[in-house]
This record gives sequence, structure tokens and C-alpha cells, in this order.
Amino acid sequence: MSSKTPVLFQIGWNACINCGACVAICPQEAGFISDFDTIAVDRPCDIACMLCEDICPVTTITHTEVHSAKAKK
Amino acid sequence: MTFPEYDVVIIGSGPAGATTARILAGNGFQTLLVDKRQELGAPIQCSGAVSRHALEETGVPISTEYIQEAIYGFGIYNQEGRANFIDYRKLKPDEYGSEAGKKPLGFVVDRRRFDRFLLTQAERAGAETWLKTEGLGYSLLPNGKCEVRLRRFNEEIKVKARVLIGADGLQSQVGRWAGLRTHIKITELASCLQFVVDRVETDGLLEIITGHDWAPGGYAWVFPKGHGYAEIGLGVIPTLTDKNAQWHLDRFLKDSFFKDRFSDSRILEIQGGGVPLASPLRTQYADNLILVGDAARHVNPITGGGIHTALSGGIIAGKFLSQFLLSGEEPSKENLKGYQDAWLEKLGNKMWKLYEEKTAIFKLNDKAERDQKLFETMSSYFHPESEYKKI
Ligand SMILES: Cc1cc2nc3c(=O)[nH]c(=O)nc-3n(C[C@H](O)[C@H](O)[C@H](O)COP(=O)(O)OP(=O)(O)OC[C@H]3O[C@@H](n4cnc5c(N)ncnc54)[C@H](O)[C@@H]3O)c2cc1C
Ligand code: SF4
Repeated sequence: MSSKTPVLFQIGWNACINCGACVAICPQEAGFISDFDTIAVDRPCDIACMLCEDICPVTTITHTEVHSAKAKK
Repeated sequence: MTFPEYDVVIIGSGPAGATTARILAGNGFQTLLVDKRQELGAPIQCSGAVSRHALEETGVPISTEYIQEAIYGFGIYNQEGRANFIDYRKLKPDEYGSEAGKKPLGFVVDRRRFDRFLLTQAERAGAETWLKTEGLGYSLLPNGKCEVRLRRFNEEIKVKARVLIGADGLQSQVGRWAGLRTHIKITELASCLQFVVDRVETDGLLEIITGHDWAPGGYAWVFPKGHGYAEIGLGVIPTLTDKNAQWHLDRFLKDSFFKDRFSDSRILEIQGGGVPLASPLRTQYADNLILVGDAARHVNPITGGGIHTALSGGIIAGKFLSQFLLSGEEPSKENLKGYQDAWLEKLGNKMWKLYEEKTAIFKLNDKAERDQKLFETMSSYFHPESEYKKI
């Protein structure tokens, strides 16, 4: 899975019901969390499994690919 | 600088953490219970159904402070709407009912009030309780203790403890700090959404609706919520559907055999969460650390219910550590394994069995057969003679 292009997640904060399911399913190490208890949105995810997008009950997680992976922190 | 020192620090004040804290503080141990929230239980990620037995067994006083409605039994529906009713008011009319001298089978509780109530019980037993305090990490110290990093409002604080308890729920980070394998499979986490609604009648029963058409991989529910309100929700396994929980709930409201019953409903609250229909964690301890409740995945893999198991897990953890801390032994992972052994004996082995039952159902490829099996399993699960009645 690590051969995938890293992604930066975006969350539709209006739709998000703060349910925590995305954090529960996330295979990242500890701390890949936003200030609003969702998956992190301020740094790229290099696993890019997209399970958080699948589990979200209101489908409000989207992503953009980050091509210069290391450049953005 | 000297760091405050405790026997135990507990991260997360849900049913698991608050119960562990109540037992340990009650036995005289220096206990710090922290939670990052400003109001426990909120935003709500739970339907709040819990049996009276669960509360009594774990020493939680039954109180109107948190009860929203009394429950007397179950209605289990198949996909077409045929139901098995297990109403204790009819099965055991002398014992169960709303009349004086009779009792309910369980309750739907308001998690905001319930979790606050449990925190109060811990605090009154002598635990120090800090809200708005987030656990950030822990490290082992050479003297056999550990150091826990916390952020309380704007301040970063380090405290020392002999044992750290991760009771931080399904999103648990504490287990990840210790490198435990906490990862849950997408095929075993139900994506759940529920509405609290007005103008839907209920009758003191927890109603559970099975069937792939309504809730692929999970089930739908209608629970009484007090004041004439009801809770309507469902959980789906994302790999079994290309629609989200919201779409399925909308369809359940508009197109199911309950559509007339729901036609006048008004949504008052929207909640959700992930419910693991999974096995308990294989390893729930590490050096100076144990996990309890959802963090250890102490959740019933058939119903997804986790309040009872969180309360019971808290009692088991509290009792084990009360003895252990007196022994003066080092809280190494080898020594803390005893906690998990105690838990397996009391609850875990039954939960593994339930997990295997559940896995067998969802392995069936034929949809009709799977639906039928789930309906039967749910019906027998809630039956008065069920061997799992008490978990
Ligand atoms: C939609 C839905 C419906 C459900 N319905 C039912 C039901 O009807 N009956 C039932 O029995 N179960 C139900 N459950 C399951 C039940 O909610 C959980 O099993 C139960 O809450 C687990 O309790 P806990 O104490 O382990 O964790 P939680 O109740 O999740 O508590 C964890 C606490 O830890 C805190 N925390 C987390 N991380 C940190 C940190 N880093 N620092 C500080 N604090 C932290 C959180 O703020 C939270 O207060 C439902 C779950 C969902 C999602
Ligand atoms: S899963 Fe979706 S709704 Fe739930 S917290 Fe994450 S982004 Fe918000």
C-alpha cells in the first residue's frame, strides 16, 4: 500500500457529526488526528488506504493527492 | 520541577475509565482521571441502551438523573417485518412492569448525564478528575514508573504514575502509544448514524431490525428515548454497500415496512459513530499500561453494545490493580498480563465465542440465508434462556 501517492484529506466540517469513526479505522500511528477529533487534515497521509472515507457515515471526507510528498509537512 | 505523582492515571472518563477510577480511588489509591471533553458524553456517539442487571452488577446506583426511559424487552424483526417479541411484561408479569413493586429489564440512558454521573461517583470515591485534559503520550521511567504527558486547557503537564490506563474509547490512541496492535478491519467496523426523533411511537421495547436490504452487515434500531421521543438508527459495514449510512437511514425511514409509522417523524438530534463488530484485542496490556472498555475492544460483537462490558471491564481492572499495586511488584507487561487473564475468564472467552458466531453468519454468501441466520441469532440472543443474557 505504501507505493500509493500520499494524500491530504479535507473534511466538510458542516456535514461532519464528530463521530470519530474515521479515527477508529485509521491505521496510522498515534496522533494522526485533527483538533476536531477527526483524522488529520494538516499533513499528508502516506498510507492512503482511504478507509476513513469509506467508514464516514455522512461521506464528508475527500482528498487531494500530494505529489511532492516530502516537501509538504 | 517535581511532577505530581499518582498510583494510576486513567485517560478517558467514559463508563470504563470512570468505573476503574471509582474502584481504585475507593480502595485508597491515588487516582487521576482525565478526559479531553468539556462535557462528558457529548457529542453523543451512543444509543444508550443498558440492562438493569449491568448497572446493579457493577454497583452503579440507578438514578433518574440519567435515565430517559425504562425498557421491558425486545422486538426483533426480519427483513419483511415479521417480528419476534420478547416482552418480559408478558413472560414474567409478576416481576417486570411499570407498576409499583415491579421492575424494568433495562434503560435507555442519556450518555451526557450517565457519563457525568459516573464521573461524580469516581470523584466522590476520592479520584481527582480533570476535564479539558488530553492525554498526549507516555514514557517509561528507570524507576519502574511511567511519565504521562497531558495538556490541561493551555498547559502541558507531566505526571508520574505506576500504571497508566487507556480507557479512551474506540478511537484509542493510548494503545497505539504502546505499539499494541489495535487496528480494526473495515469489514468489522459498522458505520452508524442515528436520529433522535419526535412523533414516533414506541412501547418500552428495544426494536432491532435485521436484513441486508435495510442495514447491510449490521442492523437498524428503534429505541424509546423518553418524553415521547425515539431513536432511529442503523449501522452498515462499508464493504457490503456502496452507499453511506446516511443514505441507508434515509431509505429505512422512507421505504421500510415502518414508513407509515415514521411518516410524521421530526429529527431532533443527529448522532453517529463506529461500532466494532469485532473480537477483543489480543493484547490489552504493555509495560505500565492496560486498556479497558472500547479501547480494548470490549464490545459485544453481535449487538455492538459496549456499556455493560465497559462497566464490567472497569470493575475487573480496578479489582486486579487494587491487589496488584499492594503486592509492590513491578508493573511490567509480564506482570500485568494477569489483568487480561482475569478479564478473559470473566467475560472475554464468551465474547470470543460470540465473535465466532457472528463471523460464521457473515461468511454465508447467500443473502437470504445470512439474513435468516442473523434474525434467528438476534432472536435467540435476547431470549430469556440465552447463555449470553448477562453480557
Ligand atoms: C451509534 C452507537 C450506538 C451505540 N449504542 C449502544 C447501546 O445502545 N448500548 C451499548 O451498550 N453500547 C452502545 N454503543 C457502544 C458504546 O457507546 C461504547 O461501547 C461505550 O461508550 C464504551 O465506553 P468506554 O468507556 O470504553 O469509551 P467511551 O465512552 O468512548 O469513552 C472514552 C472517553 O475517552 C475520552 N478520550 C479519548 N481520547 C482521549 C485523550 N487522548 N485524552 C483524554 N481523554 C480522551 C473521550 O473524550 C471519552 O470521554 C454504541 C456506539 C455507537 C457508536
Ligand atoms: S467519520 Fe466523517 S462524520 Fe465521523 S468524525 Fe470522521 S469526518 Fe466526521
